[in-house]
Amino acid sequence: METSTTKKILQVLIVENNQVDIRMLTRLLSKSTYGSFQTETADSLKGAFEQLSRGSFQVILLDLNLQDSSGLETLRKFTAAFPEIAIVVNTGAYEDDLGLQAVTCGAQDYLIKGKYESYGLSKALYYAIQRKRAEQDLQAAYRRLKETQSQLIQVEKMNVVGGLASGIAHEVKNPLATILYGVEFMYTKIENPDEEIRFALQSIKDAANKANDIIKDLLDFASLSKLKTRPEDITGIIEHALTLTKHQCDKNNIKVIQDFSSGLPRVMIDKNRIEQVVVDVVINAILAMGKGGVLTVKADCEDLSIEDYKKIVQEEEVLKPGDKVLVVEITDTGGGIPPDVMHKIYDPFFTTRRAAGGVGLGLSVARAIMKSHHGWLSIGNLPGKGARARMVFRIHDRSRQ
Amino acid sequence: MKKILIIDDEKDFTQMVKLNLESTGGYKVFIENQAVNAVETIRVIEPDLILLDVIMPGREGPDILFDLKANEVYKGIPVVFLTATVTPDEVDEQEGVIGGHEFLAKPAKLQDLISCIERHLTV
Repeated sequence: METSTTKKILQVLIVENNQVDIRMLTRLLSKSTYGSFQTETADSLKGAFEQLSRGSFQVILLDLNLQDSSGLETLRKFTAAFPEIAIVVNTGAYEDDLGLQAVTCGAQDYLIKGKYESYGLSKALYYAIQRKRAEQDLQAAYRRLKETQSQLIQVEKMNVVGGLASGIAHEVKNPLATILYGVEFMYTKIENPDEEIRFALQSIKDAANKANDIIKDLLDFASLSKLKTRPEDITGIIEHALTLTKHQCDKNNIKVIQDFSSGLPRVMIDKNRIEQVVVDVVINAILAMGKGGVLTVKADCEDLSIEDYKKIVQEEEVLKPGDKVLVVEITDTGGGIPPDVMHKIYDPFFTTRRAAGGVGLGLSVARAIMKSHHGWLSIGNLPGKGARARMVFRIHDRSRQ
Repeated sequence: MKKILIIDDEKDFTQMVKLNLESTGGYKVFIENQAVNAVETIRVIEPDLILLDVIMPGREGPDILFDLKANEVYKGIPVVFLTATVTPDEVDEQEGVIGGHEFLAKPAKLQDLISCIERHLTV
C-alpha cells in the first residue's frame, strides 16, 4: 500500500448540507492511508463560491442538494464558475442515470454516501484531479487544433482571392475604361451641362474610379510574391505614412504621439507595402476614434515572445522564440472592436462601414502583406478603452548578407 | 490629320477611344477588333500610330508587334500597348517602358493617353 508521504497534500472543499456527513467525510480523509488532505467545508452554493474564489482548491466533494441549489443544476453551476477545479459528486441517493449524467456534465466521479471507506474516497479524489488534468489538456489541444484550422482556412481564402484577382482585374478593367472614357466624352459633347447632368456624370466617374481602386487592392494580394525588399529604416516609413494621414487627424482633432526608440535596426521590407499597412491601420484607428482622441505610434525592439511566435505562420522557420524583432504598436483611444466581429476583421470583404463605402479589404491586405514579410499583424482591444495594432518585423541581419 | 489605329478585341472600349480622340479634332481613328486581321489592316490604313492590346483571342499583341518590326515598311510606326494586363503602378515604376515598349495601363486617364500619343507623333 502506498503511503501518504509520497503524495502532495490535496486541498479539498467539502460542499455538504448535512453536518453529520461533513464530520464523517472530514474524519475519513484525515485518517486516510492513501493520501493527505486539507479540508474546508461549505454548506451552500453561495458559501462554496465565496471560499472557492478565495482559496486554491484542487477538488470539490459535492453534494448536489444544497439549501440554495439542487440536482444537476448545482453541478452545472460549479463547472461553469470554476472550470479548472475537479469535482467528485457525493450523494445519498443511488441512481445510475444520475451518476452517468453527472459525469457527462463535467464531474470527474460519482460516489454514493456510505458505499466507500477512507481508502476508496481518497483514491477517488486523487484520480479525479488526474482526470481533470487530462480533460483540460485535451481541451487545450482541441483549441490549438481549432486555431490552426481557422488560420489554414484564412490562408486558403487569401490564396483563392489572390488567384482570382488577376483574372478578375483584367476582365473588369476593360469595361471600367470604357465607362470612364464614356464620361470624358460626355463632358466634351455636352455644352453647359446643368447641375443634374454634371452630378450624374461625376457620380458615374466616381463609381468607376472606386471600382478601379478595389481591383487595385485585389491585385495587391496577387502580387504579394513580388515584394521589392531592401533594408529600411522603419521610423522614416512611419513618419511618411503619418504625413499622408495628417490631414484626417487634424480634421478630427486627433493628437499623434510618436515614441520611437533610438538606434532601431533596419528591417528587410518593401517600403511601399509597409507604408500601405501603416496607413491602413492608422485610418482604421482614426475612424474608430471619430472626433478627438490620441493616436500613439511606438517602435521598439523586443525578444519574440512564444505567444507572437505561435501566431506567425511560417512556411520555413525564419523566426524563433527569443529572436530580436522590431515591434510597431499603433494605439488609439476609440471604442475598440466589438467582440462579436473580432474574429472576422481580417476576412476579405468584411467591413463594419459598408454604408460609408468600406470595402473590407484594408486589414486583410495589411495582414497578408505582413505575412509575406515573415512578420505579423494583430489587432486587439485594450483593457478599458481603445484598440492596439501590433506589427512584428524580422530584423535585417547584416551578417547573413 | 494623324491616323491612329487601335487594335483591341473590346468593341465598346475601342469605340469610346475613337469618340474621344476624334472629338479633339486632331485624329482620325480606325478600329480593328479582330487581332488576326491586324497586320492586313495596318497595310491598308498605314497609321501614324498604333494602340495595341496585349491579350486578344486569335493573336496576341506582342506577336503582331513582332510581325510589324520584321516589315521594312511598317517597322517605324510607333506602337503603344494599351492594356489591362499591367497596373498603373507597374507602368509608373518603369516610367512607361516595359521590355523596351511603351505601355499605358487601362484605365489610363484620357489626358495621359493623348499626351502619350502626342509624344510619339512629334518624334
